[in-house]
Amino acid sequence: MPMISILSGRVLARAATAGAIGVVLLLLMRHTALAQGAFGVGSPMSAPPEAAGGLVGWFLQKQAAYYREFAALVRAAKQTGGVAFGLLGVAFSYGVFHAAGPGHGKAVISSYLFANGESWRRGVTLSFASALLQSLVAIAIVGIAAVLLSGTAQMMGAAVHDIEIGSFLLVIAVGLRLAWVKGYGFLAALRAYRAPAPASLSAAAAEHRTRAAHEHDHAHDDDHDHHHGHHDHDHHAAAPDGACPACGHAHGPAPQDLAGPGGWRRGLSAVLAAGLRPCSGAIILLVFTLAQGVIWTGVAATFAMGIGTAITVAALATFAVGARSAAARLAGDRRGVGLVALRTVELVAALAVILVGVLLLTGYMASERMFLV
Amino acid sequence: MQRATQPTPGGRRPLACSLYSIVRALALVLGAGCALTGAARAHPHVWVTAKSELVYAADGALTGVRHAWAFDDMFSSFALQGIPHKRKGAYTREELAPLAQINVTSLKEYGYFTRVRADGKKVPLSEPVDYWLDYTGSVLTLHFTLPLKAPVTAKSLMVEIYDPTWFVDFTLADKDPVALQGARPDCKLEVQPATGFTVAQGQQLGGETFFNSLSATGSFGAQFANKVFVKCP
Repeated sequence: MPMISILSGRVLARAATAGAIGVVLLLLMRHTALAQGAFGVGSPMSAPPEAAGGLVGWFLQKQAAYYREFAALVRAAKQTGGVAFGLLGVAFSYGVFHAAGPGHGKAVISSYLFANGESWRRGVTLSFASALLQSLVAIAIVGIAAVLLSGTAQMMGAAVHDIEIGSFLLVIAVGLRLAWVKGYGFLAALRAYRAPAPASLSAAAAEHRTRAAHEHDHAHDDDHDHHHGHHDHDHHAAAPDGACPACGHAHGPAPQDLAGPGGWRRGLSAVLAAGLRPCSGAIILLVFTLAQGVIWTGVAATFAMGIGTAITVAALATFAVGARSAAARLAGDRRGVGLVALRTVELVAALAVILVGVLLLTGYMASERMFLV
Repeated sequence: MQRATQPTPGGRRPLACSLYSIVRALALVLGAGCALTGAARAHPHVWVTAKSELVYAADGALTGVRHAWAFDDMFSSFALQGIPHKRKGAYTREELAPLAQINVTSLKEYGYFTRVRADGKKVPLSEPVDYWLDYTGSVLTLHFTLPLKAPVTAKSLMVEIYDPTWFVDFTLADKDPVALQGARPDCKLEVQPATGFTVAQGQQLGGETFFNSLSATGSFGAQFANKVFVKCP
């Protein structure tokens, strides 16, 4: 019976993935068709469904207030010619509030951290990496399109649009990858839970054996996959008798997971998905400073914005990591129902990433509208 | 990290308790996630100071709305990036013609941020005519006229100028923001500028209000609406 469920589980997972890819391709085709002729118009993304004031409104109001100060501060910087500390400070504050506003980055990073049970340090690192990337992309777009090519705002809008589509696809890809891995973990946990008690008992010994192999595997096979949870299912697949109810148990992150050579690569896809899309405000600010002849001030301000953004995203990442460890604690000894529930939650987090990606791609969840010009 | 692995039946926590706790944790995370992605809306990146004219025909029917929208200087310089021009710091109307074309074309998707209602009924608008840009004192101003599909005569007329998504912030000019051109002399004009955010709105942070406000539809943008009323007896 376990054998059968392994097989049917795989078939199911493959079918689901194939289906999801099909849907995404269809949506993409539809989207591309819509996007044609929309260039120069800015983003073809339609207006988002409305949300109302409240906390969101307050955040927007703060951002708007900071953003409004940019022009005057840039002019002041041009006058004095010194380092524009005032501008940097405002840019930083703007970044802090802006990260709480539009953007899928937080959703992707948080869900990724949550689903994978990553460490806090990794969460913070990913947050800073994605925010830094976002700043660099804005600077690269303005540097190439405006400074080198003397291009127009439309050109930059088009570049942002393409990057945006790429990053949304990447969000979906990250989500699919997570869902694939977590789907296996879920099925394994479910099977273990369903397995009759005698089998569990007999499996205890097997589990002890496999655990040794497990840790062994763990110690120097880190970069072969991205996800912690993945070990669970690998493991499972490796146990042909399938009678291994505790295989789904999670280990705490081993130190080498964080520092090892696979460490950076593991989160790279999430960083790219979250940080590839530049912030429109940064681009407008950079072009303005370029026009005022103080582009380096703009570059510095863009990085200040990035640091502010990183702090907010890191705070949310901390929350995600904390929620995850709380969930793991609630799952108790991580067997039986607790494990099934934990794996369910992980799977839901993975599916949420896919959903965010699809919504962004289809324009049902607008990030930032691109320019009007 | 590893707990005792004896798979005793007692090792399974009561189903309801365990599931409940985890579902609660999940709800918290998803709630926060939804709140943040639901918050996926932009603050204004473009500020417009608007002046508008309502244009009437000789028979007293409204024929169109003529706008003059001045952009903020950051957006002005962004929009001018890469536009070829002969004299440094100056742009002629001809040099700006392609940009004006792009502006009005792209505004179509947003309904020109202009809504006209005659006696409560929505009035359809045609494509803009007479559009051009001028650039004075680092401010770019877009001029265009929106003809109504068909002229309307109405006792009560309302024109709203705003972006419901608040990507563009519309503020009416301080002095004479709205004028009636050729209207009957007994028509009365009333202008209600947008209220914008108030601190009180920002402070409605109570849990339920907050989540309700996120799922509520439609009302967010209304506070940025600039409303013009014309009453002709």
